[in-house]
Parts: sequence; structure tokens; C-alpha cells
Amino acid sequence: MSTDRVGASPNRVGGVGRVTGAQRYAADIKLADALQVKLVCLPVARGRIVSIDSSAALAVPGVRFVMTAADLPQPVPRFGPQFTDRPVMAVGETKYHGEPVAAVAAETKDAAEEGARLVRVDYEALRPIVTLADALAPGADLVQDASIRPRDPLAGTNVLREHRFGWGDVDATPADLVVENSYTFPIVTHFAIEPHVFMAAPDGDGIAVWSSIQHPYWLQRILAGVLDLPLSRVRVFAPDPGGGFGGKQHAKYEPLVAFLALLTGRPCRLVLSLEQTFQAVRRTCTEVHVRTGLMSDGTLAFVDVKADYNIGAYADIADRVVGKGSYPAAGPYRVPAVRIVSRSVLSHTTPATAMRGFGNPQVNWAVESNLDEGARALGIDRRDIRLRNVARTGDTLNPVDTRCDGEWDQAVRRAAEMIGWDTPAPPGHGRGIALGFKSGPTTGLSQSTVRLLSDGSALVYAGTSDMGQGARTVWAQIVATELGVPLERITTVSGDTAVVPYDQQTSASRSTVLMGNAVLRACQDVQAKVRAMAARLHGVPEEQITVERGIVRLPDREVAIVDVVKPGLGRMAGEIVGNGMARKDAEPDHPLQGSAAFFEFNCTAVEATVDEETGDITLHKYATVSDVGKAINPLQVRMQDEGAAIQGLGHTLMEHYIYDDEGRIRNLGAIDYRIPTSMDLPLELHSDVIENADGPGPYGAKGMSEGALISAAAAVAGAVRDATGIVIRDLPLSPERVWRALQERSAR
Amino acid sequence: MHTFAYARPATLAEAVALLAEHGAAARVLAGGTDLIIRLRDGTLVPDVVIDLKRIASLRPGVREEAGLVVIGATTVMTDVAADPLVRRHFPALADAAAVVGSVQIRNRATLGGNICNASPAADTAPPLLVYDATVVAEGPGGTRRIAVDDFFVRSGVTTLAGDEIVTAIELPLPALRMGAAHERRTRRRGHDLASVTLCCGVREDGVTRLSYGSVGPRPVLRVDETGILADPAAPAEARTNILEQLLADASPSPRSMRASPAYRLAMLRVLGRRALATALERLEARA
Repeated sequence: MSTDRVGASPNRVGGVGRVTGAQRYAADIKLADALQVKLVCLPVARGRIVSIDSSAALAVPGVRFVMTAADLPQPVPRFGPQFTDRPVMAVGETKYHGEPVAAVAAETKDAAEEGARLVRVDYEALRPIVTLADALAPGADLVQDASIRPRDPLAGTNVLREHRFGWGDVDATPADLVVENSYTFPIVTHFAIEPHVFMAAPDGDGIAVWSSIQHPYWLQRILAGVLDLPLSRVRVFAPDPGGGFGGKQHAKYEPLVAFLALLTGRPCRLVLSLEQTFQAVRRTCTEVHVRTGLMSDGTLAFVDVKADYNIGAYADIADRVVGKGSYPAAGPYRVPAVRIVSRSVLSHTTPATAMRGFGNPQVNWAVESNLDEGARALGIDRRDIRLRNVARTGDTLNPVDTRCDGEWDQAVRRAAEMIGWDTPAPPGHGRGIALGFKSGPTTGLSQSTVRLLSDGSALVYAGTSDMGQGARTVWAQIVATELGVPLERITTVSGDTAVVPYDQQTSASRSTVLMGNAVLRACQDVQAKVRAMAARLHGVPEEQITVERGIVRLPDREVAIVDVVKPGLGRMAGEIVGNGMARKDAEPDHPLQGSAAFFEFNCTAVEATVDEETGDITLHKYATVSDVGKAINPLQVRMQDEGAAIQGLGHTLMEHYIYDDEGRIRNLGAIDYRIPTSMDLPLELHSDVIENADGPGPYGAKGMSEGALISAAAAVAGAVRDATGIVIRDLPLSPERVWRALQERSAR
Repeated sequence: MHTFAYARPATLAEAVALLAEHGAAARVLAGGTDLIIRLRDGTLVPDVVIDLKRIASLRPGVREEAGLVVIGATTVMTDVAADPLVRRHFPALADAAAVVGSVQIRNRATLGGNICNASPAADTAPPLLVYDATVVAEGPGGTRRIAVDDFFVRSGVTTLAGDEIVTAIELPLPALRMGAAHERRTRRRGHDLASVTLCCGVREDGVTRLSYGSVGPRPVLRVDETGILADPAAPAEARTNILEQLLADASPSPRSMRASPAYRLAMLRVLGRRALATALERLEARA
């Protein structure tokens, strides 16, 4: 039993199905009588649609319907989690390569593809805005028509929003040394192995939608709005995704497929290829200008950051990414003066969305790298300059936000120690260290129901999407701990908005804290009812009974909860139902409309060599240490951090989109967009956790799994700098880019 | 996927007849690791796909006969890389076959398919050129033998006639000792297409054969008969000059997004030096 409980690492709930192929992902669900959908797109990013002729497509045997914007309610409904800007399909002009102008529904996938090939679209190719420089140039064409940005003073520009954060007076703060540099971060994509799947079917007076989505309840609200249906008539099925990383948070083509289903009266099914997924989801790319002010002893005087994020054609959640990602730019440090100006900038590229780290990796790469330069200029060890400035528990970071909530220096010391920071590096080896920092969720609402059944088994309802992070296992461990039910007698239920209570979202590393607390409180609700039941059964006043950790403590003895419930429920059986909720309300006056529920903190330390002839980087030692409060399942926690580190090595070493002049992604698909394989991993990859039970979640847990990604790039670049003397301020650190820098160094 | 007819002939004659009948509208399927991708993405829309895998006389395998090592065209990379004859006599070919694609791809991709696809980046091409391989093709007129250096034209194009099928690759058993090495450059350590692929073979008589691909429309073979490259005691400048001459045929495309021409040319030199050094070490070890 102790192996089921919090702090142990039982096998992942659903893990066997996941690795044997038994798990049914969204694409594995076959709806009878379903039409297969193929999107029709233009071969350019930006094209003015002149006319669409579907007649040849409709003549293909098996093609049942070709939907264009003209078939939709007028004006064409728009949607989005932050701005109502994305149309169900392109209206008048495509804004990015891959935006659908028509959708073909057919009896077979082949017929749909053939039909899509034959839809004739007359269009006028227009010059797309691809880069930040294009978008910000004076007189640049507008990506979004001002008419969809009413009452917006920036509507005449491609800047969607400008965010200003900070405290103190940067300009009036003296510093002995000011380090000033610009850094860029490329466009990368989530690359979830499971494809994005969208299915919809008429369901009585409403609609049922299946999607590999992280936020089924948010999708439900979006669909209800677009279709003008009550929430109770929109049922979202959200099978456990096979990887999400933020790319599956928000609605993409669910509204389109829902309209197709309603117009055809048939279930409709759209599965994106990897290439189409590249066109559908990506991370914001960023140019960051940093000024770091330091005193000669290494104390931070000020941090001054300007960050422009290219967010693509529609906002999705990307403007929130810009705000929330740039807000903690000063890092986990005590800094007297901070100024942050960040802008979300529109372009004719794939709409950017949330991605693991949520805007922080882009800025962290710049600010942490710049701190390294300051340390070098001052002759201070790069670990020590971080220890000098890193906040201690209770210290003020941003004066209007949550105070330092962890023993962060412990993580710094531990990561450094794990790569032998205090021992001399072998010849040719260089070391780097960086701190990852992120503001946790600012608002949240999670509800859970736990049903303790008459045989002592239990059902736990939690609307979190388990996309590989192991959420189901965490709920089961909490129930096992609180109610004493063995793990194999607990069933976790999620993925159906008609059955499972509301959860705001699965993002921002929130679920263990927010849904975890909801599950814990549902268990406590069950415990309270068991207590009343025990009082009745044993004729003892309730005040003399306590129920905790699966045990009912009567005045004269202890019994297991199950031994109260079985006789208590008696011959008619039944069950005990507990409900729990965790809520973090918005704070309207806060710069982010809410303070951090917790901070994610990570330290990454790296030892690397560089092949001076080829530019190849070899990572010899890689240590990642996160402050997690309490590891409810230590193995899962470490797997999350190790996975995040490896994903971070993607944008650090190799990943980036390459665009052509027409705004098309040239390296569309796996052949020329490379992600790390097992052969690209560090020769030694170590992880560890700091646990001081100082988080707001169950048992003192904090959210984690993004921090380890955030600090990867600066730590690796620092090691490359240490090994070779070269400074590179653009990611990825591809062999060719490193080689070029080495050539320039030799030429000097 | 576009609809096409599928033929699975039992004999080579049948396959050749089908090819002759359909001409350019037919495509030949061996491992399918190149073909299937192009069928799926619509860049190839054949009327008929002719599957060679049930042709008895094309049974995959490696055998030794009459001073040759003969590799059946449908032998997959995994088997080429593991074959004892190949490993003993043509280790650089085994090394190259072992890095084509991923494990799954190597279990399907054939040596014949790799050369017929004629990618400039084909990893098996440089060792086949260094080892002086011959391509055996069967057509309506019978059997034809083509020196591998006369086989490649440019990406996707060979001197194979439209109605010919490659049945085997022959490698002459070396009369003189040779040390050879294969080197490649990729964007990551995991499976990837080569942005430079190169093989160097040094013979005991002082002849150095150098072949490289992915730096021009087709893989190139150049031979140094001066003995200078093979002589570690020769002046460094002389060796560098010879190496430069041998590498002068590289003309990488500026349009590629895998690597810039400057980087490819620089890496060609790095790989050339490294392969030469390894080849010399291996020659020494064979003595």
C-alpha cells in the first residue's frame, strides 16, 4: 500500500496502454458513417481570394460537400481565447500559409484529397509580412484589418499589444557595469507525436466534438459561442492526448469541423498531418534587447528588457504568452529596478500559441546569457553571481507579486555540484549554468468529484487532460493516500464535459496544485461523510472521531475507512460522494490580473566540448534540478524535468523554421526540421529535485516541468562560451552557426 | 494517395516486360523507403507500381563468385552492414550502409534502391565508387554491366534505361590491400540526411581513391596516383594541394537549407582529412 501513496512512484496509471498501443487516442476513435475532411489551402501565405469553384471537386465520386466561407453564418464567426479574431475559415484573404479557404467532406480520405486537389481557387498573391522587421516597418501593410480591432489605439499598426512592467527607476539607478546585447530566439514547434484530431457529430439538438485538446471546457465555451448553443448542448470528448506541450490548448479547427457536421448532418473527421501541424501551431519567436546593470561585487542594480515577439496571423493565446512570458524577465533575483517593455507583433505566419515555458524561454535565454557576460567582465564565478542575487524564501521579487516561495539557492548549489563545478574542468571542456524561472498560474478553477463505492473501490473525476505528464497517477495516489484505497481499485475519469466536472485548463504546470487540491478536498469531503457514518455506526459523537490517511480513529481503536463504509452503506449499497474545488480568483489591479500561485524554479548546469573543426557541441554532463515543494510521484517528476531538458535542447541546438519569400515554411515536416533523438542526448543526463514542502498544492507540492526547459539554452551557450570563447546570441547553436563563430574568432 | 495498379511479377522477364509496356508511367518498388513517401506526397503519380520482392532470381543476399562479391539489388542496408564478406573486404561500405536512415529504414531500404534513387546524398554511393563497383542491369536486350561511375547522372537520374532493372551490384575482390573509411556530416547525431558524405580508400601501391556526395548534382570519384596522399611522410603542403585538387569538383547548391555552400565545402575538407587519416590507419592495420 505504501507504494501507492504520495511520495512513492507506482507505475503510471494508463502507462501500459500508452506503451503497448492499447490506448485509444482521438484518431483511434472511429465514428460510424463519418465523412473524412480535407482542407483546401493556397500555395502562398497571403492571398486575396477572388473566387472558389467547387464543381470539379463535387464531381469526384464520394465527395459529399465542399464548404467555403460563404456556407457559414455571415459575418463569418470568429473565435479565440483572448481576442475574437480567428475566423472559422479564411475570409477574403488568407493570413498564413495553411489557412483553409475550403474544406472537402467525402466518404473516403482519398476522395476528400482528390476533391481538395480539384477545388479551384482564383487568388491574387500578396506580399506577406514574415519577420518582425517587416511587420514593424513604417507603412507596413496591416495583418489584421482595423475593423476587427475596434477601439484599439494600436489598430493602425501590426503591434497587437504593448506590455509594460517593472518597478524602481532604471534610468536613475547607478551601476558599475552595464552589459547591453540583443538576442534572438527562433520559431519552433511542439512536435507532439499524436496528430491533432478534430471530429464532430450532430448530437440531438446540439453537437458532440472529439478533439485531442488540453482544455476541453474552454473549447466547449468557444464552440457554444460560435454555434450559438447552450453549454449543455455542446459535449466535448477529450481522449488523453499523446503529447500537447501547449499546442493543443486552444481551439483550432474544431469550429470548422463542427459546422461541417451540422451542414452535412454527418459525423466529420479531420486529422492533421505533421506538415499541417507545423502550419497550425508554433512557439512565438523573439528578439530581445537586454541591459543588465551590475555593481562591481556582482550585485544586480537593474534589468532593462525590450522584447518583441512575432506572434503570427491571429492572437490565439500568444499575446498572453508575451505578457506572462516577459513579466518575470528580471529572473529569480532581487533587483532594485526593472523595466520590461514587450510587444506582441502580428505577421503572416502560423498563429503562435502556448508552448512549454510560455514565453519565458525566449527572454530567459537573453537575460541569463547577459548575466554571464556581466560575471565574466567582473571576474566573478557564474554560479556565485547567481547565488549572490537569487532571492531567498520570503524575499520580495516583483513588489506587487508573490514573494520568493522556495529555497532556490539549494537547487543552484545542487546542480553545480552534480557537474563538479568546483573541480577543474578537463582540458577543452567548458561549463555553463543558468536559472529557469516562471510565474505559475495567475488564476485557476478546478473541480473534482470522488465517489467511494460500496466495495471500497473509488472513482475520481478530474477534468485535467493527461497528455503524458501523469496526471491520472497523481489523482490516484492522492485518493489512495487519503481514502486508503489500493491503486488498482481506483479508476480515474476524464475527457468528457458531460460527465466530468469543470476544469479551467491543463496548462501552466497547474494541475498538481489546483486539480490536486480539488481532488484532495473531494477526498476530505468523503472523509467527513465517513466520519458521520462512523459516528452513527459506533454510537460515538463525531467530535471524538478523526478520519485521515485512510484510517478512522475511534476513541478506542482504529479501523480502515473501508470497514466503516461497507457496514455503513449496508444491503442497499450506494456510495459516498465527495466534491472538491480549488479556486484562484483574478486580481483586477495586478499587472497580469493575478499574482503567481507559485514560482517554477530550476537550475541547469552543463559541461560541454566543441569540435573546433566542425562546430559540433558534445554535452558531457547535464544536470537539471527543480524546486518542486513535494514530489508526489518522484519518478514522474524527474521524467518531466528530463523531458523538458531534452525538449529545450531542441531549440538550443537544432530546431527552427525556415521561411521562403512567400511566407511558406520551407522545412515543413520531419525531414528538414530536426528534433533531438536519443543519440543527441547529453552523455550524462542527471536530474534531482529540491523538496521543502513549501508549495500551495497537496502535501506542499508546486507545479513543475517547464522550468527545466527554460534554462537549457543559456546553460549550454554558457558552456560553449567557456570552452571556446565564442559568444553566440542567436539560437539554435547549430554546428554551422558555431563553426561560423569559430571562423570569426580565428579571423580576429 | 493517388490510385495506381500494383503488379507483383514472379520473374525478372515479367518485370522487364511490364516496365517496357508502361514506360515512364511505371515505378519499381523494392524497399519503398523513397517511393512510398513520394507516392504519399503526390510528387510521383505512376499508373503502375511493380514490386520486385517476389522475383525469385532477385532474392536478397551477398555471395562471392569468380573474384567478385555480388550483392543482390534487393539486399537491405541492415544486411549489407552486417554481412561478413562486405565487412571483411569493403568495410567502408558496411559503415555507410549502417548510417542510412534509421533502424526501421535500414530494415527496408535496399542497396539497389539507394543507387537507383540517385540522391546526391546517398551514403552508399561514395564507397561503391571507391571500391570500383559495377551495376548489373537486366533489360529486354539481356544483361548489361555499368561501372558505377558511369551510372549516376544527377539527382534521381541514372544511365539505367527506362526498361532496365538493377539486379545486383558487383564489387571486385581487391587484388591489393586497401584501407578505407566513410565519413558524413549531419545536422544532428540521430538519423539524418548527409550534408556531406565521403569515402576515402588508400591502396598499398599508393593510389588514393576519394569519393564524395551531397556537394553537387551527383557523387564524384577522384583518384590520386601520385602516391603523395598515401604517404604520411610527404610534405603537408603537397598533401594539402593534392587533396584540394581532388575536392575541386564540389559545387554545393546555394538553395539547400541543410547547409550553406561555405560550410559544406569546409566540412568536405575536414571529412576528407579525417577519412584519409582513418584509411591510412586501416591500411596499416591490414599489413
